[in-house]
Amino acid sequence: MIAIQTNDVDIGALIAAAKKHGTGAIVVFDGIVRDDNITEMELEAYEDVAIQELEKIARDARELFGLLHVDIVHRIGKLTIGENILIIIVAAGHRKEAYDGSRYIIEAIKSGVPIWKKELTKEGGRWVPGEHRHGKQKTG
Amino acid sequence: MTVKIRFFARFRELLGTDILTEVAAGTMVTSLIKSIAKKNPEGYAAIFDENGAFHEFVILMKNGKRIDIADAGKTAVVDGDEIAVFPPVAGG
Repeated sequence: MIAIQTNDVDIGALIAAAKKHGTGAIVVFDGIVRDDNITEMELEAYEDVAIQELEKIARDARELFGLLHVDIVHRIGKLTIGENILIIIVAAGHRKEAYDGSRYIIEAIKSGVPIWKKELTKEGGRWVPGEHRHGKQKTG
Repeated sequence: MTVKIRFFARFRELLGTDILTEVAAGTMVTSLIKSIAKKNPEGYAAIFDENGAFHEFVILMKNGKRIDIADAGKTAVVDGDEIAVFPPVAGG
C-alpha cells in the first residue's frame, strides 16, 4: 500500500498483510506528531508527484535490499499531537535488510518527496524548514 | 495558450495556487513565475532575491519533473504545462 491520505491506518492490519512467504523480519517506522509546544500540525503535499515518488522509492528499496513487501502511508491535513504522520512497513528475509530498507525509505522521503509540514501554535504557525541539496540556506 | 502555476507551502499562502494564466508563445518559466509573483511583494521576495534571481533553495517542476533554477530562464512553457514552485520539502 502506497498512499497519501487524511485518514489514519490500521498498522496491525498492515503488519499482518506484510507477512509474505519467506518473511523473517518486519520493521515498522511510525513518525508521530511530537509535542514541540504546538497545538496541531498541518501537512500539505503535491499529491500527484508525491505519490509517484513514493512508488519509486518503494520500488528502489525492494530492489536494493531485496525487500519482500513495502507499505508507505503518509498522512496530510491537520493532525494533533501523538497522531501518526508516516507509517513505513517493510518485510524482508532477515533483519539487516529490513532495517536498512526502512532507513533508506525514510531518508529518501525526507530529502525529496514534495510534502511540507506547518506547526500550528497558539501564536500562529511556522513552516518546518526543509532539507535542500544545492545550498546552505534553509527555509520553509 | 494556457498554463497552470502551482505554489506550495509558504509560497501558496503568499501567492495562491492552481493559477491558470494566458501566456504568449515563447514565454520562459522564470518570466512566467515573476509575472505571477509580482502581485504580492512578500511572495516575490520569498522566491526571488534583490537581483531578481531565484533563491537557491527554490525548487521548480515542469509537468512533475524537476528543472534546475539555472535552466528556468531558457525553458519555454507550452500550452497545458503545469509549473510548480515550492520551498525545500519537509515530509516524513
